[in-house]
Amino acid sequence: MSDSLAITTLVIAALSRSGMPHVVVGSFARNFHSFPRSTKDADIVLAVDPPGLARFEAELGGGFSLDPQTTFETNTGTFRHTLVHTETEFKTELFLLSQDAFDQERFRRRQAFQFGGYPSFVLTAEDVIVTKLRWFRPKDVEDIRDVIAVKGPTLDWNYIHRWTSVHGTRAKLDEIQASIPKID
Amino acid sequence: MPDEFQSIADSLYRERVLRARCTPSEERILDGPRLFDYACSVTLAGLRSELPCASEEELRQALHRRLEIGRKLELVR
Repeated sequence: MSDSLAITTLVIAALSRSGMPHVVVGSFARNFHSFPRSTKDADIVLAVDPPGLARFEAELGGGFSLDPQTTFETNTGTFRHTLVHTETEFKTELFLLSQDAFDQERFRRRQAFQFGGYPSFVLTAEDVIVTKLRWFRPKDVEDIRDVIAVKGPTLDWNYIHRWTSVHGTRAKLDEIQASIPKID
Repeated sequence: MPDEFQSIADSLYRERVLRARCTPSEERILDGPRLFDYACSVTLAGLRSELPCASEEELRQALHRRLEIGRKLELVR
């Protein structure tokens, strides 16, 4: 097993054992719903209270260093802790679930799956698309295109259109959809 | 892009999509960190060639600096 995969598995296992409600987001969620691409960070959203975070740290064991201070992530408007494994370059960003209506809904809709044999949750394909349309960094455009191309026939378009109307991102979605070649 | 290239690009993209649809999601999610480690091993090989006298620790620090530059660029893009 690769170092980064082993570390991510340890983190997911600790989340699972500590009973921490969580959802895997970011490039891992993108890879789950489209093509595999190299990812140097694991991004995970936690619904956490301070005792929960302490339980999670205890389950992690040695070799990890959790930044006790939260930092504000300007791209996404959320608070996060950074978790590093002292012997590798791989990082895990632990975002705190916010009160934002969409953040709450995507957390509620998260999809159960097994990560290396441990129970976990990942964003749905619809929520990867809506999230990335909202951030709209250059790499997000390609990610949205790839998720739509792979998952297109099975996506809940009513759900996507509802949130893109709320966020004012429907025109961007239409433009990306128009750029996808016919697949089926 | 000229039409003939666009048509080749579309065809390659279509093949990639159809291949991804045949691969279980649980497998695809594991490939991200695997590819990262592979990318790091390639970068380290490049650094070894650039810095033949560097120790393993110095190479690790050089890799760390490269990755930090990548992370910063991603934020400002």
